[in-house]
Amino acid sequence: MWKWIQRQASPKVFYQTCNRLIPWFFWPFICLLTVGLYWSLVISPADYQQGDGYRIIFIHVPSAILSMMIYAIMAVAGGIGLIWQIKMAEVVAKVSAPIGAAFTIIALSSGAIWGKPMWGAWWVWDARLTSELILLFLYLAYMSLNSAFDNPRTAAKSSSILAIVGLINLPIIHYSVKWWNTLHQGYSVGTGGIKDTDMQIALALMFLASILLYALLVSIKARTEVLIREQNSSWVQEEVRSLIS
Amino acid sequence: MTMVEFFSFLPYGKYAFYVWFAYGISALTIITLFINAKRNHSNTLLSLSNKYLRNK
Repeated sequence: MWKWIQRQASPKVFYQTCNRLIPWFFWPFICLLTVGLYWSLVISPADYQQGDGYRIIFIHVPSAILSMMIYAIMAVAGGIGLIWQIKMAEVVAKVSAPIGAAFTIIALSSGAIWGKPMWGAWWVWDARLTSELILLFLYLAYMSLNSAFDNPRTAAKSSSILAIVGLINLPIIHYSVKWWNTLHQGYSVGTGGIKDTDMQIALALMFLASILLYALLVSIKARTEVLIREQNSSWVQEEVRSLIS
Repeated sequence: MTMVEFFSFLPYGKYAFYVWFAYGISALTIITLFINAKRNHSNTLLSLSNKYLRNK
């Protein structure tokens, strides 16, 4: 098992795996997104309280969950890079940051747009909203720190420490609606969450599509990062020549 | 006439502006991410190829 992991972590194998996985992520993502959007916008009934305005939930909740999930992946990958010096874990952590930041931006902007008709305000300094905004700042700080060093190993080490420290924000975001009396509604998934089967299916489809989108973007970005880091290797030179010619 | 009234001809009536605005921003963000990732890959391949040609 350990040998298999070591083999997968070699830049060349990792690059080839990313290349092979891209179509396996892309087509299921397109299918799930199409069906998910149809289920969200057409099949799901209007909410008895919020009318059709609630349909923002199908992009807001998956992107909010992904924003936290990607941060956790980034911190764990950064930790693996720190402890076991696995370069490809550093690559995964680095390329995950802009994707996670984009999901956080989607969660914040869709939440603000949803808040206007329901709360009468685009933004309130509520615990859930504020902690999610801090998550965006953590992503931005990670990316700034990572690009502040010329040496990618030094950059990975310092930014991984920041990512690990920032993990403390994840339980704060998750439990903010429980710990504080917030304007933000309670959990949308699980106990007290949405009850209608069509709404649950739509949410599940959009969540799966978001996971596939993240995997697809990581694969595309990781192979670029591997090419840059390993540009002096003979296999990269051969690969570039074969792709350009 | 407010934006909400202007866009009320779209599906979801008085919520149309908010729903389509949220979906539009999300689509724009995802498309930008995707195009950016693909363009970065092509640019990297091109710059590495030029570098190898110079060093030959």
